[in-house]
Amino acid sequence: MSEPAGHALPPSAPEPVLLPGRSLAVCAMIGAALMAAVDEIVFHQILAWHHFFDRSTPAVGLVSDGLLHTAELLGLVAGFVLYADLRRRHALAPAHASAGLFLGSGGFQLFDGIVDHKVLRLHQVRYGVDLVVYDLVWNGAALALLAVGAVLAVRARRKAGS
Amino acid sequence: MSDHHLHHAPAVAPTGLVGMVIAVAAVLAASAYLAGSIRLRLRGDAWPGWRDTCFTAGCAVLVYALLGPLPGGPFTAHMGQHLVLAMIAPVLVVLARPLTLLLRVLPTRLRRTLLAVAHSAPASVLVFPPLAAVLDVGGLWLLYRTSLFASLHHQPLLHAAVHVHVVVSGLLFTFAVCQLDPVRRRWSLACRATALLGAGAAHAVLAKTLYAAPPPGTAFATADLHTGAQLMYYGGDLAEIALAAIIAIQWYAASGRTRTHRQRQGVPRMACS
Repeated sequence: MSEPAGHALPPSAPEPVLLPGRSLAVCAMIGAALMAAVDEIVFHQILAWHHFFDRSTPAVGLVSDGLLHTAELLGLVAGFVLYADLRRRHALAPAHASAGLFLGSGGFQLFDGIVDHKVLRLHQVRYGVDLVVYDLVWNGAALALLAVGAVLAVRARRKAGS
Repeated sequence: MSDHHLHHAPAVAPTGLVGMVIAVAAVLAASAYLAGSIRLRLRGDAWPGWRDTCFTAGCAVLVYALLGPLPGGPFTAHMGQHLVLAMIAPVLVVLARPLTLLLRVLPTRLRRTLLAVAHSAPASVLVFPPLAAVLDVGGLWLLYRTSLFASLHHQPLLHAAVHVHVVVSGLLFTFAVCQLDPVRRRWSLACRATALLGAGAAHAVLAKTLYAAPPPGTAFATADLHTGAQLMYYGGDLAEIALAAIIAIQWYAASGRTRTHRQRQGVPRMACS
């Protein structure tokens, strides 16, 4: 208020600057959180393949699961609000954003398949079946998502560079 | 295990004296809130109507959880009650910014006293988000993983204290994390989000341990225990999403204001990006 009105910039928005790195990171966060939500809704609730509690889970597994589960929820909320912020600033780089979505969902799926299911033994993909096939499909899907994400990221980068 | 081992109290809602006292306090609080907001509007001040709705709804669900019938077995009903008392009612009450309203409608002398209390050192320590989280979820760990829960049955005073603690610590934690009302020390977003993460994780782990084993010294039907534990786990998720959304919307609004301010001041454009 101390400045004379004439010195202020015109009220028009500043020239939008795309933020590719941030777009990728924010969408990766949303992708991971969405995959976690799919895991919870489809595999825990609808199919009931995953069990809420597995007696062979060690204490460290329970703690890490609690932290990760909570972080997923916070990540979902934070991801959407950061996405809205990018849109508001006209800084969203769409190609990087879709690459991030695939990388995030694939990354979460792989982490879930290797660390949660195998290392920490929180629960298995399904009970009362031969697990090998299920584990291969689970982690194969994760690798496929990651591969799509990597291809999209490289293409987005080339496009931005040219 | 024979059937007489499944003792059902203290799981069920206390229609006893404490429940009654808290319920009456909630009704009085809602009336006072509405009286205050009406007075403010008559004076010509703006006070959004949805805040009245939030506060009244918070008090109403509190009263229902204390006095009304709750679905499910004894442990599930207890968990449902816990969910409303410690999470749903506090979020609704805190969203209505009761302290702000009180500071606006009280006469000057009382307002100064209230402000002195709100800005006092003990109050500032209590609303430090990580401490509020420990008081809230730490209390739950004590309740469910020690013999405290079993002993409530025989000790009405202790039972009363636990009920009051559940409501008050839930309010305190929500108040500290949301930081909607004026307090002396404003905590950063990172501090509040970390406290929320820690509290949510400790709550989720506690729910999973309850799925595996009931509180020491009690026995519940397995199906009841499992439903109650899952209600605690997923109910906690809902509360956490609500709190996270409140913090996130605050950040969105604040960062928008900062950017507009910078643009008006003519800070170089690169710095804005």
